[in-house]
Amino acid sequence: MSRMLTRKLLPVRNILPPVTKRASHVHRQRYDVIVVGGGHAGTEAAAAAARVGAETLLVTQKTHTIGALSCNPSLGGVGKGHLVREIDALDGLCGRAGDWAGIHFSILNRRKGPAVWGPRAQLDRQRYREFIQAELLSTPRLEVLEGSVEELLVTDPNPEEPGRHRVTGIRLANGSRPISASSVVLTTGTFLSGSLFVGHTVSPGGRIGDAPSSTGLSQTLRERLGLRVGRLRTGTPPRVLKDSVDLSLAKLHPPDSHPTPFSFMNTRTRCKPEEQLPCYLTYTTPGVERVVRESLHLNCHIQQDAKGPRYCPSIESRVLRFPGRRHQVWLEPEGMTSDLLYPQGLSMTMPPDVQLRLIREIPAMHRAEIHTPGYGVQYDYVCPTQLSPALQVKNTQGLFLAGQINGTTGYEEAAAQGLWAGVNAARWARSLPPAGLSRTESYIGVLIDDLVSRGVNEPYRMFTSRAEFRTSLRPDNADLRLTQKGSLLGCVSSARRDEFLRVKLRLQDAEAALRALTLSPAGWRKMMPGISVSESKNGTLSGMDLLQYKDVSFEMLASLFPEQLSPHIEFSERLKIEAVYKPHCDLSKREVERIQKEENMSLPQDLDYFSLPVSLSKEVREILDRFRPSTLGAATRLEGMTPAAVVNLLNYVQIAERKERMMNRSNAGQQEGRGEDLCARNASLPQ
Amino acid sequence: MLPVSAVCGGIYRAAIRTLRTRNPPLCRRLSSGDGVLAGLADADTIFALSSGHGRCGVAVVRISGPAATTALRCMVGLRKHLPPPRTALLRSITDPHSKEVLDRGLVLWFPAPHSFTGEDSVEFHIHGGPAVITAVLQALGSVPGMRPAEAGEFTRRAFHAGKLDLTEVEGLGDLIHAETEAQRRQALRQMSGDLGRLYQDWSHRLKRCLAHVEAFIDFSEDELIEDGVLDRVDISVCDLQAEINQHLKDERRGERLRSGVHVVIAGATNAGKSSLLNTLCQRPAAIVSPIAGTTRDVVETALDIGGFPVLLSDTAGLRDSPDLVEQEGVRRARERVQQADLTLVVVDSTILPSEVQRAAAVLLKHLESVLTSQEQPEAGRCLLVLNKTDLLPEAQREQLSLGLRGTSGLPPVCLISCQTSEGLKDFLTVLQSTVQTMCADPLSGAPTLTQARHRAHLQQCAAALAQYWRYRDSDLALAAEGVRLALTGLGRITGRVGAEEILDIIFKDFCIGK
Repeated sequence: MSRMLTRKLLPVRNILPPVTKRASHVHRQRYDVIVVGGGHAGTEAAAAAARVGAETLLVTQKTHTIGALSCNPSLGGVGKGHLVREIDALDGLCGRAGDWAGIHFSILNRRKGPAVWGPRAQLDRQRYREFIQAELLSTPRLEVLEGSVEELLVTDPNPEEPGRHRVTGIRLANGSRPISASSVVLTTGTFLSGSLFVGHTVSPGGRIGDAPSSTGLSQTLRERLGLRVGRLRTGTPPRVLKDSVDLSLAKLHPPDSHPTPFSFMNTRTRCKPEEQLPCYLTYTTPGVERVVRESLHLNCHIQQDAKGPRYCPSIESRVLRFPGRRHQVWLEPEGMTSDLLYPQGLSMTMPPDVQLRLIREIPAMHRAEIHTPGYGVQYDYVCPTQLSPALQVKNTQGLFLAGQINGTTGYEEAAAQGLWAGVNAARWARSLPPAGLSRTESYIGVLIDDLVSRGVNEPYRMFTSRAEFRTSLRPDNADLRLTQKGSLLGCVSSARRDEFLRVKLRLQDAEAALRALTLSPAGWRKMMPGISVSESKNGTLSGMDLLQYKDVSFEMLASLFPEQLSPHIEFSERLKIEAVYKPHCDLSKREVERIQKEENMSLPQDLDYFSLPVSLSKEVREILDRFRPSTLGAATRLEGMTPAAVVNLLNYVQIAERKERMMNRSNAGQQEGRGEDLCARNASLPQ
Repeated sequence: MLPVSAVCGGIYRAAIRTLRTRNPPLCRRLSSGDGVLAGLADADTIFALSSGHGRCGVAVVRISGPAATTALRCMVGLRKHLPPPRTALLRSITDPHSKEVLDRGLVLWFPAPHSFTGEDSVEFHIHGGPAVITAVLQALGSVPGMRPAEAGEFTRRAFHAGKLDLTEVEGLGDLIHAETEAQRRQALRQMSGDLGRLYQDWSHRLKRCLAHVEAFIDFSEDELIEDGVLDRVDISVCDLQAEINQHLKDERRGERLRSGVHVVIAGATNAGKSSLLNTLCQRPAAIVSPIAGTTRDVVETALDIGGFPVLLSDTAGLRDSPDLVEQEGVRRARERVQQADLTLVVVDSTILPSEVQRAAAVLLKHLESVLTSQEQPEAGRCLLVLNKTDLLPEAQREQLSLGLRGTSGLPPVCLISCQTSEGLKDFLTVLQSTVQTMCADPLSGAPTLTQARHRAHLQQCAAALAQYWRYRDSDLALAAEGVRLALTGLGRITGRVGAEEILDIIFKDFCIGK
């Protein structure tokens, strides 16, 4: 199975039937899960919900743009590549789509240690979209509908549970009947009150060429549900005609000679190694800085104070913040047959004629022509501290948010949230308890925990330095960390589960074989004369110990012990990495266990922290009230929490439990059934 | 849809399950002074002086954790046979490295689970002199796997082992609060000197090292971060390692901190603070005059109150003054109050309204302005001294003395006259009993403990920096992990460093374009 390229081979064009489905053509009036939005978050959410078993409807303004790469034509990178591997380990789409659409593969950080390798690929936009669309259309239980959502339907708050709304469905713009659902996942990206900026021109919208989304949705979130929203900005560079660029003046940047696929299910990529396209590197000049400064007064976006990212800044803010330097500009292919180039690093919002002047200040682009000008986007995001770790809005049952609407940036961050929101939306619809993903086991967990427990004040992007357990959360072992969990949740296909089990068993066998090879240090020195083997505590060293040495490879050991080790040569790289990292991972194991325990201790969402009869300072009460941590673990990570406050909270939970137990005892008859039911639910919680 | 109450039921059950487990979920999070930390393992063996200080005949040092027996083996010479459980044994206690005899004392061995913490525990009962205590604590700190206990750690371990009953558990939060506060005050005293500046400087440099390595990892390949960045980190790490190791070898240990209960006299100008100091030390240590703002700097004297060491400081009167010297005096006064174990708030009783209720209100407000700390003054951390009672009519004196005693929110009130020594005897009795209670708390006023803890953290820090070099060329992720661990170790002294802080440095120092 693993040797097959992808699960399905795809027809190249016209994957979606030209007849778009309208609301009247929707097969049912009730779904388990409705996903609004067809970007990276929406597609992963819809596919994941359907995989878990929910009847799912994906609503998007234009079916044609499902799976579109609105900004850069690339996937992965350092930190982001980790997310792609994890999404793939949970059987998400983007890893396999990347393998299908990639036209330039490279592993970043190859020389810096496997924990921070960054698998990355330049993509063919069209192929990527095709793959995603084909995949969605062939997913059972998933329907796609073209339309604009006018209204989110929610119940009035339940008087017994103040502030608690429940989502009941959506209403489309064309005034048709409402479509009801147990869960709704909003993945509206930059379309929530989005405005586009080019020079002095400001127009409503979330992406150029697409209609703005209705204001109804934004209104429901803010006014009906009372959610706090903030404003962020982002931007995209102009697209340049390839023929008009003098690439001989830029530095050629070739791909890896052997493309490494993103997906654990693929052993090769669709693009043959020799078919890959190169990227080019060039630099800004003082002329670029001059044009930026001269045109500042024409640049509306840059004068606004919505917060943009510090790590993907427009050329304007780069030049203004770090003047007098040359900045990198990558010229990236847009596709196998595309005649456009994507100038990464030149996102800008000045008037189109100035954009042309600016790029022509760069030697390689001195007579370049712009196909589409760059523009800026400002959009609303919902402060993500209002979400639970399942990405459900805390005060609205059944409403899930994922992607840029939560204040993140990047395809991979969006896809990761989409997948997890999709899984949980489906679980909610089926009355299953929420599934959690810890920051100790995945970057997806780090992402979600950072969002819901700390919030954002600039677009959030993944960095490996955000993961405190970076040495265990590696791209190579994402399957070992997550696939089994995904399988328990039902979001992993049987093919992937079988492949995972095979790999896991084979790795275990290989490790056992390595451990069984024990020799004295002197014995090893004799066998491997070039290696300075040190003494050991108990007198012997195993093959696993030897593999930790910098200059020892699995292949070397296999050549010495062909009988025992050559069957495992398929996993030589993974075994080497595991051997080097295991001692470090073992060191942090206790810390990991502690965090996981704290994360398993939930705090009720409706606690009134101000009246809680516990000794807590006013300051701590305010912090707890503001962030409403979902678990004790999240509470301990809040800035300003004191050790004493955590112990007091723990005590409170304990005392409350005692009271509950006594109450249960007093009306044991009715309560028993529910108690058992709960136990059953808890038992089904994935570990 | 799950009913909320049902969800809660499940939550509580889950919480209880965790509470009941033997492996405590909370210890490590809670064990740092600043409240947030990572990486202190329960597997660590901890030690601490668990008796008071001052003039005491016997000091008790407690050790708890899996390596407790190691202490018996390498410091008491019980290599082969552990002593019978819970039996006192008279032995020589030696330094594990130099083999020098540190003291001769009683040794007790409590195997798990029959001990206070439920873990393997050892107690040394040694002579009470500060030199002996310091030597034993430092010797323990040099045993691998051992580190000084953090605030409340013994009690927390007992809690998690189910050794405390419910009423004790309910007081645990307050206990931990008190202990963290005591440690915070200790740390403040240490950090305000040269040593503090040194640690802060290291922390700052380590942060930059980490930020630059992280920038190189997260951005270098497609950004404009030159290789030179790592070379600079190399130099920095090398320097830091050398400085920290040198510091650890340096026997002088920086400035010597005086031990004893830190008592600070504070209040408005002309309340009679310096007079109180002079009265207490029975000599004119501070200049006294009727001019407001006479005392400008901190005047410090060491006293013996009822056999307990006390470090008494007189401070400048608190008021807004245009005088630069006096402003500095007031700043120092406020700093002292923050670091104090006990504050004597002196008030001129003649300015109080004659009606008791109103007087109480004035005093409460005044206390707030003197103590300035955001939280309520802890019980026993403050005494209110109403001076100049000789100038009050007899009836008002009586009224105040009786009326203020029961007022809630007020600390113990003493009416005295430094002029006539009236009420002084009663005041001394109150002061002595307060100091005595404080001395029973092993954490207040023992700088050696703080020093031993700092030492242990610095050793961790130096060891972690060695990991940087071990992996510098082969695996930058593991090398960075070394710097990160070093910063965690140092962060236990100077305050935790979060991921965001590192990212802030990265974005300040580099232009990240992608």
